[in-house]
Amino acid sequence: MSRFLIATATLLGLTLGAAGSAQAAEPKQVYDFYCAQCHGIDGKGKGINVTKDFATDPRNLTDSSEMAKRSDEDLRGVIKDGGPSISKSALMPHWGSTLTTDEVEGLVKYIRKLCDCKGK
Amino acid sequence: MRLLAVTVSIGAALLVMTATPSYAAGGDAIFKKSCTGCHYTDGPAKEKTIAEQLAKKGPELWYAGSKFQKDWLASWLQNPKPIRPLKYNSLTEKNAADHPKLSAGDAAAITDFLMGLKSSEVKAGVIKPAESAQARNIYAKKAPCGGCHESLVNGKPAGGKSGPSLAGASKRLNPDWIYAYLANIKAFKPVRDMPDFASALNKKDQMSLSAYVATFE
Repeated sequence: MSRFLIATATLLGLTLGAAGSAQAAEPKQVYDFYCAQCHGIDGKGKGINVTKDFATDPRNLTDSSEMAKRSDEDLRGVIKDGGPSISKSALMPHWGSTLTTDEVEGLVKYIRKLCDCKGK
Repeated sequence: MRLLAVTVSIGAALLVMTATPSYAAGGDAIFKKSCTGCHYTDGPAKEKTIAEQLAKKGPELWYAGSKFQKDWLASWLQNPKPIRPLKYNSLTEKNAADHPKLSAGDAAAITDFLMGLKSSEVKAGVIKPAESAQARNIYAKKAPCGGCHESLVNGKPAGGKSGPSLAGASKRLNPDWIYAYLANIKAFKPVRDMPDFASALNKKDQMSLSAYVATFE
């Protein structure tokens, strides 16, 4: 009886978990889809678009000391409004009209994992 | 005896039907049989999540008749050269250049079918291909398209690799579609890794940029 209960509870949990993830894209999935093309899947700033023709070096998101200088609000701002909003390259586009607020929040947390650092 | 004649006639008719070359079939029938594994043609856009976009094996074609130029499409289907440097939906695998090659007849039939698939978002006769200093500045600096798209610079591909190449856009793309795409990208691709430039560029910028891309050799 207890085995049946555990199995049922596990199944219910899995079903609920799967339903939850279908509603909001996982931050890693969002990062890999939008950001990795320039920042690289590993976050080191060497995505597939970064050829000799690329006019700037995308931020190395794993650089703890550089990333620690930026607050979470700075990250939110540059993701939403793009490089020119902080006098950086327009090669970092504005994603504010593409991403949801939740997706931006997820990205900020994911980037903090990549740099293993906290914002200032 | 009469029965035999009828049977032979039906048999002969069936033989003719089955032996008929495929190019006599409608392009929609050939498309349904050979292309729907990777492309869909019944719009509007179906994909709503990143997972749904990533599940697609090739680009949606429900607005192909508004996007492409007919001569280019008929010719490309017979001799398909990669448009994207990378495999569709991949940031790591190269384009394997393995799109099926069609006979001239099948290519013509499918082209007729695809060119009939129009989007009401695309207004005809708005954009005429033209270079301008304003557009060159947008392409290079204001909204640097070359970050993700290749184009020919002194005859050689230059630029990023995640997006489709814009080399040859003058022959491939309908200038009016380029403008409609910049103006309302979500109508065509609700989930894509290209930013929405409608809010970053005003109408005049969008129009001059579209006209400029439409000149690309």
